Amino acid sequence: MIKGECKMNIEYVPTICPYCGCGCGVYLVVKDGKIVGVEPWKEHPVNEGKNCPKGRNAYKFLYSEKRLKKPLVKENGSFKEASWEKSLSLIAEKLKNIDPDSFGFINSGKLTNEDLYVIQKFTRCVMKTNNIDNCSRFCHSTTVPALISTVGSGVMSTSQINIEKADCIFIAGTNIKETYPMIALRVMRAKKKVAKVIVTDPRRTVTVRLLADIHLQLNPGTDVVLINAMMKTVLDNGLEDKDFIERRTKGFNELRNYLSSLNMNDAERITGVSSDLIKEAARTYAKAENACILYNAGIAQHAVGIGNIQALSDLAMLTGNYGRPGTGVNPLRGHINGEGFGDMGPIPVFYPGFRRVSEKSAKLFENYWGVEGLPSNPGMTYMDMIEKCDVLYIAGANPMVSAPDTNQVRKMLESKDLLVIQDIFLTETTELADIILPAATWVEKDGTITQVDRRVQRIKKAVDPPGEAKPDWKIIRELSGMMGFREKFKFNSSKEIFEEIRKYVPQYSGITYDRLKKAGGIQWPCPSEDHPGTDTMFVESFGTPEGLGAFQVVEHKNPVEMIDEEYPYVFTNGRLIFHYHSGTMTRKTERLNNEVRGGFVEINIDDARKKGIRDGEEIILKSRRGEIRVIAKLTDNIRKGVLFMPWHFSESSPNVLTGPSAGPPSKMPEFKFCAVKIEIKR
Amino acid sequence: MKGEMHLAWSTDGEILKRAEYGGAVTSLLKFALEYKWVDAVLAVKARNGKRYGCTPVLITNPEKVIETSGSLHCASPNIARYIKEYLDGALYLKIAVTCKPCDAMAIIELAKRNQIKLDNLLLIGINCTGTLIPNRTKRMIKEEFGVDPDDVVREDIEEDKLTITLKDGTEKVKNLDELEKKGYGRRENCRRCEVNIPTMADISCGKWGVMDEKETFIEVFSDKGSDLIEESIKAGYIKVEQPDNIALKTRKRKKEDAIKRAKKWQRRDFTTLKKITLNERLNYWFGQFNQCIKCFGCIDVCPICYCEDCYLEADRDLVTGGEVPPDVLFPMIRIAHVMDSCVNCGQCQDVCPMEIPLSQLTFMLNRELAKIFKYKPGVDVNAIPPLRAPGTEEELRTVVLNSLAR
Repeated sequence: MIKGECKMNIEYVPTICPYCGCGCGVYLVVKDGKIVGVEPWKEHPVNEGKNCPKGRNAYKFLYSEKRLKKPLVKENGSFKEASWEKSLSLIAEKLKNIDPDSFGFINSGKLTNEDLYVIQKFTRCVMKTNNIDNCSRFCHSTTVPALISTVGSGVMSTSQINIEKADCIFIAGTNIKETYPMIALRVMRAKKKVAKVIVTDPRRTVTVRLLADIHLQLNPGTDVVLINAMMKTVLDNGLEDKDFIERRTKGFNELRNYLSSLNMNDAERITGVSSDLIKEAARTYAKAENACILYNAGIAQHAVGIGNIQALSDLAMLTGNYGRPGTGVNPLRGHINGEGFGDMGPIPVFYPGFRRVSEKSAKLFENYWGVEGLPSNPGMTYMDMIEKCDVLYIAGANPMVSAPDTNQVRKMLESKDLLVIQDIFLTETTELADIILPAATWVEKDGTITQVDRRVQRIKKAVDPPGEAKPDWKIIRELSGMMGFREKFKFNSSKEIFEEIRKYVPQYSGITYDRLKKAGGIQWPCPSEDHPGTDTMFVESFGTPEGLGAFQVVEHKNPVEMIDEEYPYVFTNGRLIFHYHSGTMTRKTERLNNEVRGGFVEINIDDARKKGIRDGEEIILKSRRGEIRVIAKLTDNIRKGVLFMPWHFSESSPNVLTGPSAGPPSKMPEFKFCAVKIEIKR
Repeated sequence: MKGEMHLAWSTDGEILKRAEYGGAVTSLLKFALEYKWVDAVLAVKARNGKRYGCTPVLITNPEKVIETSGSLHCASPNIARYIKEYLDGALYLKIAVTCKPCDAMAIIELAKRNQIKLDNLLLIGINCTGTLIPNRTKRMIKEEFGVDPDDVVREDIEEDKLTITLKDGTEKVKNLDELEKKGYGRRENCRRCEVNIPTMADISCGKWGVMDEKETFIEVFSDKGSDLIEESIKAGYIKVEQPDNIALKTRKRKKEDAIKRAKKWQRRDFTTLKKITLNERLNYWFGQFNQCIKCFGCIDVCPICYCEDCYLEADRDLVTGGEVPPDVLFPMIRIAHVMDSCVNCGQCQDVCPMEIPLSQLTFMLNRELAKIFKYKPGVDVNAIPPLRAPGTEEELRTVVLNSLAR
C-alpha cells in the first residue's frame, strides 16, 4: 500500500443546480479543492435527490479549458492579458466622463442576489442612470405588467411542490418534460392521483405525448382567442365561481359583456382547434377543485404576451382558482435566479423590492444609501441599450445568441465606444468586447438566489475561482471604489450585502443567512425572522391596491410580423432538455453535448414533402433580417406551416431570423412568431 | 473467532451519553483509528445536526467519530460508490466503514470487479430493517403523528412498529404496515429486503437480542472482525458479555419475522406483475420507460455500474442521442447489465426524476436469476456474477435448461 496518495479531505457541499429556475438541490463532492462529483441531496424539498440530465452534470463545464482566468484588454484588434488594476482603471476613466444616459448595464439571472444588488446600486449611485436590464426582458417582461394589472404581483402564486395537489393542470405552451422536469414530476404525481392535464402547444411535444389528457394544438399566436373561448364556455355552462367573483374581484361585467359578443366558430377558425375540444378543456378546467395554470415563454414571448397572460389570469379568477395550494397562474422561470433578478431591481423600471422608478423611490433610496441625484425616470430596456448606449457593461449575458436579430446586434455592439463584458467563458459576444473580465461561477462564491416559487436559497463557495477570476460583486465594488464611491460599497462579504438587501427589500426582511441553512430555503414574502415564509400567495386578498383581482378584457391581436406569400412559414423556437440557453455551459459538458451537437429545424412531414426536403438535409431559412443554414428534421409532431428550432446553437441561431418586438411597456421581442421562407440549394 | 457473538458496550462516558445501545460501534471505530488499524473512518453524519439530511463523512480524527453516533433512518447515502469514486476504491487507504447490508453487498460486488480493494476495508456492518425517504417522512410525521418533524430526536423500527421519540422524551408509535399502505414508511426496496444482518461484513452490530438499550449485539463473521473485538476489549474501549439463550432465540425470531415481512412485500409487489400476460407486461414497462428523460441518474448512482465508458452514452452510437424518451434499449440494456448483481440498494429508484419503479424491476429479475443460477449477489467475494462469467455457451445452456425443467 502506498500511503498518503489518497487525498483525505472530502466534503459534500450542498448547493443549487445552476440551470433553470426550479432550484433543485445537489451535493457537490469536493476533494482537496476540486469538485469531483455530484451526489443526490435527498432531503431537498424541490427535487428530493432527483435531477434532470443538466443537474446531474452541473459542475462539469467549470473545468473547461475555456474558462476565463485573467482580465483581457483589446489592443490593436487582439486581446492581451492585463492586470485587474489596469483593466478596471481603464473602465473607470471612461465611465467618469460620460453622460449617464449613454451608459447601460446588462446583467443576468445567473448572478446572485448579492451580485445583482451591487450592480444596480452601482448603476444608480455611481452612473446615475436606470439604464439597467437583463434577459427577464426576453422572458417575463410581459408577465410583470400583466399580472400586476390583474392580481397585483408578477410571481408564481403556488409553491411548485403544491402543484401535485391540483386536480387539473393547464400547461399553456410550455414543454415542461424537457424544460422543467421537476415540475413535470409534480404534474405526473398529480395525474397519478386524479388530475387531468390540458396542454396548449402548436407542437406535439414529449409533454403533450406523455402528460396531456387534452391537447389543444393551436395556431401560433392565437392564445387569446382560445382562452376567451374557454371563458365563454365556462359562463355559458354556469361553471364560474360566483362567490369568488363577488367577493374577490372587480370588472366582471365588462368581461362577461365582451365574452358574450364572441362566437365559438370564430374561435375554431382562428385557433385551428375544434370548438368541441375547446369546450371540453374549459369544462375540465372549470370543474376542478384546484386548477393550476403553468406557463412560460410560449405565452410570454409574444408581442401580445401581456394580453395572453391577462386572459389566463381572468380564467383563473373566473373559476376561483387563486389563493389555495396548487392553483393560480404560474410563470415558470428560466434562470437559477429567475425571481431574484427582478426582486433586486436590476431592471429599468423598479428599484429593489419592486418599488416603481419614480421621484418618490429615488428619494427613498437616496435616504437609504446616503447619496444624491438618484435617477427618477425609467431607464432604457435591453434592446434600447444595445442600440443607443455608447458604453455598455454586460455581466453574464450573451446577446449575440440570445437577443433578437443577431446581425443588427453585432453591428450595434461593434459600434460601442466601450464594451465591457464580465463572464466565465469567452462567448460569441465577448469577441466584440473591448475589455473582458473573468468572473467566478456559482460554486466559487457565496450568495443567495431566488427561484421560480419565490424560494430564496443559499449557495456556498465550494472551491476557489480559477486564476484571477472574482465574484461579480467584488469586481463592481472595486470599480465603484476607483470611481470615488468606496464608502458606499464597503461590503466585505456577501452576507453584509444580504443584510443591506433585507433592510430595503421588504419581501426579504425576515430572511437571514442562518435561516437559509434549511434545505429548500424560505419563500418570500417573509416579513419577520419568526415568519416561516409564504408558499401560497393571495390567500386572503390580491396584491392590487384595493386587494381585489381585476378582470381585464383582452381582444385578439395579430402578431407584429404576419406570414405572407413571400415568407409563408411561422417560425418559432425553444429549448431542449440537454442544453441550456445559449449553450455556454451545456456545450462544454461532454455528456450533454454528445446528445445533441448542433441545431436543427423541425418541419412538418407534409410541408417537407411538398418542398422535396429530405430528413437530415441542410436547408436555408430566410427572414426579412437574415438567413441561416440548418439541418431539417421531419416530424408529424408539429403543425403544418410551423417551423421550430432550438436556440442553443450559435452556428445555426434562430435569432438571426427573429426581430419584431412589442412596444412599451414590455418591449418583448416576438421570439415565438416571425415569418420565414425555406430555400433549398443542392 | 468467526461466528462468535457478544453483547457489547462502550467504556467511554461521553459516548455512552450520546450514542445508542451502549455505543459499541462508535467505540470500535474510535479504537480502529487510535490504534492505527485504519487511516480513516467512513460513516454517516447528520447535516447541521438535522436528522433528515445526512451525508457520508470521512474521519481521521478519533475525537470526531462521536459525531456520527446514533442511528439515522433517513440516511441512505451511496457508501460503496463513495469508496469507489472518491477514495480510489480504497487502493491507498485503510478504511473502517459503517455499512448497512446493501452497502456491504455493493462493496463486495465492486470488489469482485476490481473496483474496491476489500483487504483495505474493515466492514462494520449495521443491522438494518429499512431506511426512510426524508421528505416523505417529514410529511408523515406531520400528518400521521401530528408533530413537528424538527421535534423528533429518534426513530426506531421494531417488528411492525415505527416509534418516534420527541425532544421532551415522549414516544409515539404507529403500525408500520398501515403507514406503508398509505405510501409512508420505509423505502420500497427496504420493504422487500430480506438481508437485515450484513453477514458479508467483518462484524454486524444491531439491537436484536438486546434486553435493554444499554448494549449492542455483535456477531463476528471474519478473523479480522474477531481480532477487532478482542483487541478493543484488551485496549479497554468496549466491554462484552455473552448473550444468553433467550437473547439468541429472540434475535433469531426477529430475523425470521423480518424475512417473512420482506417476502410478503415481495409477493405484494411482484405477484401482479408476474401474473399479467406478456403483452400487458410489455405495455406496463414500456409505459414506464416512456417517461425516461435520459438523465443517466440510474447509471450514475448504481454501485454495480462501473464501466468508465458506458455503452449508453450518446457518443457510443448504440442508443440514438438527443431523444426523449430515449429508445427502450436505454433502460433495457442498463437493467440487463446489472440485474444478476443487483443488491437492492434502491439508489436508482431514489434518484429517478420520473419515478420509474426501477428497483422493483431489477430486484424482481434478480430474484428470478438467483433461482436459475443459484447465485446470491453481494455475499461471497469469490462468486462470479453468472451473466459475466457463464463459462462456455454450452454450460450456460445446460444451467438454464436444467432450471427451467425444475
